[in-house]
This record gives sequence, C-alpha cells and structure tokens, in this order.
Amino acid sequence: MNKTRRRAISALSISLLASAVALTGCAPGGGTSGGGGGSTLTLGMTADLPGLGVAIQPAYQGWFADAAWDTLLICDSSGKPSPQLATEWEYNDDRSSAKLKLREGVKFSDGTDFDAEDVKAAITAAGEVNDRFADVAFDIEDENTITLTWPQPIPTLDLVLCEPNISSSEYYAGDAQDTTVVGSGPYIYDAGASTQGSSYTLTRNPDYWDAETYPFDKVVLKVFTDSTAGINAIKTKQIDGILADASTVDEAKSSGMEVVTLRGVTTRLLITDHNGEKIPALGDVRVRQAMNMVFDRDAISEQLYRGFADPAYQIFRVGSDAYLDDLTEDPYPYDVDAAKALMAEAGYADGFTLQIPFFEGQNHDLLFPYITEQLAQLNIKVEQVNLTGPDAITDLLSGEYPVPLWQLGNYGESLQDIKDYVLTDGIWNVEHQPDATVDALWQKVLTGTDEERVSAQKEINQYIIDQAWFVPMAYPDGFYVYNPDISIPTESDFAALHPLLRDFQTK
Amino acid sequence: MFRTLLLNLVRAVGVLLVVSFATYCLMFSDGIGIARAVLGPTATDTQVAARAAELGLTRPLYEQYFSWLAGAVRGDLGSSFLTGQPVTDAMANRAPVTLSLIILTIILTAVISVILGVTAALYGGWVDKLVQFIAVLGAAVPGFIIAIALIFAFAISIPLYPATGYIRITDDPQGWLWSLTLPVTALLIGTIANAASQFRGSVSDALSQDYVRTLRSRGISERAIVFRHVLRNAAGPGLIVLSLTTLGLLGGALFIESVFALPGVGQLANLSAQAGDVPMVMGTVIFAMILILVVNFLADLFVGILNPKSRIK
Repeated sequence: MNKTRRRAISALSISLLASAVALTGCAPGGGTSGGGGGSTLTLGMTADLPGLGVAIQPAYQGWFADAAWDTLLICDSSGKPSPQLATEWEYNDDRSSAKLKLREGVKFSDGTDFDAEDVKAAITAAGEVNDRFADVAFDIEDENTITLTWPQPIPTLDLVLCEPNISSSEYYAGDAQDTTVVGSGPYIYDAGASTQGSSYTLTRNPDYWDAETYPFDKVVLKVFTDSTAGINAIKTKQIDGILADASTVDEAKSSGMEVVTLRGVTTRLLITDHNGEKIPALGDVRVRQAMNMVFDRDAISEQLYRGFADPAYQIFRVGSDAYLDDLTEDPYPYDVDAAKALMAEAGYADGFTLQIPFFEGQNHDLLFPYITEQLAQLNIKVEQVNLTGPDAITDLLSGEYPVPLWQLGNYGESLQDIKDYVLTDGIWNVEHQPDATVDALWQKVLTGTDEERVSAQKEINQYIIDQAWFVPMAYPDGFYVYNPDISIPTESDFAALHPLLRDFQTK
Repeated sequence: MFRTLLLNLVRAVGVLLVVSFATYCLMFSDGIGIARAVLGPTATDTQVAARAAELGLTRPLYEQYFSWLAGAVRGDLGSSFLTGQPVTDAMANRAPVTLSLIILTIILTAVISVILGVTAALYGGWVDKLVQFIAVLGAAVPGFIIAIALIFAFAISIPLYPATGYIRITDDPQGWLWSLTLPVTALLIGTIANAASQFRGSVSDALSQDYVRTLRSRGISERAIVFRHVLRNAAGPGLIVLSLTTLGLLGGALFIESVFALPGVGQLANLSAQAGDVPMVMGTVIFAMILILVVNFLADLFVGILNPKSRIK
C-alpha cells in the first residue's frame, strides 16, 4: 500500500467515524423519554384534533376535551349520569326540559367564574354546529340555577347533558375560539409546550374541584398518523397508551404491554332503502332477508377477524335495553340455496347492481371482497366506490349509496342507536325513509313509563330484524394497549371505544 | 452569471404561479365536504352550508385563488379551514423539522459521497465495490423499509435512539440530534447510493481527460491534480445530483416523517391534502417551491464558482 493510498483510506475512515459520532451524538443511555407513568401521562392519538375550538371536539379519542373542559353531567359506560358542573338536575315529565343546579366556586382558566350565563352561551354555541342543541330555550333563575327547554321531548336527555363542553361566556363572545382554550377541566392547555398537529401538553389545574380522579400532573397527547409508529412508540415506552388493532395487539402484548379489550362496534351493512325508492328490489323484505342469509357469521368471526370477534345477530350492544337476550340463534342462518329461493320468489332471481362505498382505514380490506363474493351468489353485483378526501363523509351520508358498509358504534344506551340508525332522521339511516311502525314504537319510547320504554326498544329491535334493515356481521374486538406502569381500573366510555381520561390511574 | 441567475429567478416565479394555480384547481370543491368535516355529522345541512359560506368556499374558483394570492403576496397565507391555525404558524413549527432532516441528510450525503466516490475512482478495490454495493442497496430497498429495520434494531432491540418524535434544537440540541439520527440514516442509504456512484463516474471521467495526462507529465503530484483540477471539473455533475437529491428528499421526507412521527411539512401536506385543507396545502406547496428555488440557485451559484466555463452563456 503506498503512502497516498494509506492516507486516503485513513481520511475515509476518520470521516466515516466523525459522521457516525456526529450522528450518534455523545449522550449516554438510550433515547426513550416520557411515558412510563409517574406524574406525566403520555397518550398516543391515531388522529389529530380537528382544532382547538370547544364546540368541535370529538368524543372519539377525546382526551383533550376530557382534560380541558367540564361538561354539565358526566355519563358512565351505560349512560348513567353523575354530577359534573351541574350538581343537581331534574327533568319534566316528557323530558323536554331540564332544571340544573350549578356547581359553585368553579373558575375557568381565563380567571372568570362559572355561572348560568356560561351554560347559556355554551349551549347556544353548540346549537350552531350540532342539531341536538338547536333552538334550546333558557330560563335563568339565578346565577347557579338554569332551566333548558327543547322544542321536543328528548328521551336521551341524560346523554345530551353529558355532551357539550362548557367554556366561559367571555370566550364565546370573543373572536379567538380557534386558537385559544378556555375551560374549567382538570388540566390547562399549555400552548407554548404544544405543537398543533403533533403534540398537545396540558398541566394540572390547581383549582380543580375533583383533583383526586386525575392523578397525573401533566397530560401529553401525541399524534401518530402511522399505526406502526404508534406501536413502536408504545413498545419503547415513549407513550403510555394507544389504540391498537388485531394486527398489532399481539406485537404490543409480546413487548410487555397490557391490553384492554372493548366491544364498542358492530360491523354491518345498512340497508336503508326500505321502500325501494332507489333500488326497487331493496323494497322487498324477502330480498333483504336473502341478503342476510348468504353470510356465514361464524366464519366471518373466526376467519376474517381471526377469532377477534363474535358473530352479530342484532346491531345492539349486549346488555343494552334494546338487546334481545333470547336471540341466541342466527335469525337468518347461512343458507345460500334458501336465499336464492327467496330472491326468485320476490322476482329478483337475476339480481341487481349495488354500489357500496369503500373507505381506507375501516378494516374492511378482507370483508369487502367477501361481501362482493357472497352477494354475487344472488346475482347482486357489487360495485366498489372508493370514497376519499374531504367530501367522503358527506358523500357517504348523502343517500347516494343506499347500502353502506360500516363499523358503527353500539352504545350502552340503546336509545342512541335507535336515534342514529333507525329513526327516519337518523344520521346513518341515509335514505331517511319514513316507517309507520318505527314511528309508533318511538312514540311509546317518548311517552311511556320506564318499563314501556324498554319494551318499545326491544320491539323496535325485533321489528328491524324481521324487516332485515341491517345485515349485522360481527362484534369485533377493539384494543387499547397501555404501559404496565399505569393502570386502567375502570372503563367509563359510553361508546366502549377506549378508556376515558378519568380511567387512567397511577399504580 | 448574474443575468443567468436573474433569469432563473424570473422563471421560478412563473413556475410558482403556475404550480400554485394548478394546485388550487386540483383542490377546488364546493366546500360542503370541508364544512361537514369541520362541524361533524351532527350538524344540519343548513349549518354546513353556512360554514362553507363563512369560509369563503362558495365563491368561484378564480375569486378564491386571487384572494389567496393577494394575501400570499402580503405574507398572509390564511388559516387552516379545519383547525383555524394560521398557515404561517404551522409552517414555522414544521419547516424546521423538515429542513433539519433535509439539511443534515444532504450535508452527510455530500461528505460521504465525495469521499467514497473519489476514493473508488482513484483506487478501485473494496471501496469501489462498497460504492457499488451501496448503490444497489439504495436502489433496491425503499427508504421506509430501511427505516423500519433501523427502528427495530436501534430503538426496540437495542434501545439507543427514540423510535419516534422530534425534539426542537432550541429545547435540547443533543436531543435534537438524537431524534434525527435514525430518520437521517434511513434517508442516507438512498441518497449516498445515488450521489456516490455519480461522483465516482464524474471523477473517473475527469481522470481520463487529456489535461490530467498533461499535468501528470509535468510532474505535478497526484494529490494536487485531484484536489486542484479533477474535483473542480467533476464538481458540476456532482452538484447537480446533490441538488436533485435534495429535491427528491422532499418526497422521501414524507414517508420518513410518517414512520418516525416527525411533525414536518411532509406529514402536514399529506394530512391536509386528504382533508381538503386548501390553505395548508398551499402553504406546503409554497414551502416546497421556495426550497426548490433556493436549491437550484445555490447549485447554479456553486457550479459557476467552481467551474468558470459554466459562466459562459
């Protein structure tokens, strides 16, 4: 080796080493930080917040809202309310009005005191973006007593009062609602320590009235739009908890993480064109029943969901008022020949074409081809319509597609399921076609005693099963994986999708 | 040379206008979907329509674009339709992340590629084989696969580096370097593969030129020939490759930012485009265009400085 060559190789080696040293830095130890319980709770979110505005906070992964704001009442997993900003409440007979006694001594993070005017401002603002709070009338008796009156009876009044986050009337009157957070919740948003879209930091509210329920001094919410990144973060204890799915839960478990399993959704086809206005064949109950009979629900749970699901014979959550306990057998057992016979009897042996929307990220990658294949046995040709971009949800709910496939929540309070999925104006009853039987049963819900209300819900359930308004398929497992250094002793989420902020505790 | 640079600048502004208008056209919608996304499914159609109008989304395309352009010229890029966050604030938070990633990667790419390329061209042997191996590896294995392998090896199996996240240099310089180590390494494999083989070829070409033989015949040392003459002549193609690599890193950064959960411009562009958040998308387009402009300008400038022949029109 000559001198020049030796020098060149030495220079190369030194340069590479210098690069490596520069890259690795000189700090001792590993790179993991945060997480691990203690006084900071760091949670991963699989989607970013829609913004900082109080009225647009989602319930799904709504830990930011849990931390920054209080609600009037707080509902448990079955929808039963407890005091929050309202300490006492009473409803009129038809549940169209609620008189609330408000908590005294509560301060917002902007330093103002909480009173009835704040409730009025919050409900009014919520009504501008949420139909459930539109046209509410207010009667303020004194600064700590207010009566809210809706134009119509609200059988789910408990749930409605658990919903809106309350900010100060000064906040609603200002013009910085998109960029500031004013609440009375257990934590205060620290804008300086946060990067919108990536990380949100909240520190303990020293004046909070129920500090014991929230043991952490700081809450950090980190956004992981890539599921692999989220799982890597929990495995390396950069975060304390995150949602997982069947494809990643084993990986998280093998890294020593704990898992909460939740049953908050039912996978289903929603046949909303009951009157056959868009596709005449769907107006015939025999066609809808035949569509139910070509799906082997046991096989779906075992094969497509790899055992991480139970077959669903109805859409409601087990244990909810509308759930039919005695429905232990599939009302439409898997029988392709019988289904074909029903189609022929209805005069639709040649089938028809059905456009079904498909969304990325809904875990339907395996289910969708199966549905296409099974319905093809009835000569129903499924055309997959991919919906993406900002108009996707609008298109989905527009009624353009009368048979959406979706994994929808089944609630602890089945009245909410009925409102969202069954009633004519239900968000997910996308064709919004009226039905006299459902309307009559709903009237019983509105005017009946508690017993009659429960009975009417069961009747509605039986009716939509008989009429085959849905093709329920499975109750898939949802998973929340968390660091064993913390504990999750309770599951309070009414939607059973993940733990709420108050469920996270130190060990 | 100044005239050439000025001409390039004028061209770039023209391209910026065309690209921004084309992007605006692609993102244009009636605004109902965006308003629905902002308000959620519980809002009534009337409320959704009112929000769309409030956001100015019911105006004609040309009116919306010129309104945006007028603001952009004044330095006001508007606010996110979805979050209300000013675009300039979002870019101020995210641009440092992406720039850190790109600048670190390109500096290391330049240093390592020049050393590997020159050494391979001069001496061949195992260094040459190494350059060729890296070239094949870089071309064959996508960056995100390398990223996942690096996370598994150096964040999970041997917990040396954080698997995800970014630390601001102002908060903790060492933590900043730490948080960027794996992402930069994941990008480096591909960029070095490309640039080192280009440097190797350029230096080999230059070494075979007549002037090198003449210099050698006059007894000038090999070191002086390489550093004073060969590298100067080989620098042009190498710099062009580096500038193209820098621009290519904008695309690579998008994947890397996602895998490492880095809050950069690529991640913002991806999410904003999916959500139809036009102001944010336009902000990221402006960022990319300015970066392209600066990189091309610097490449022209350095080529001109290093090689006088390129200054002649």
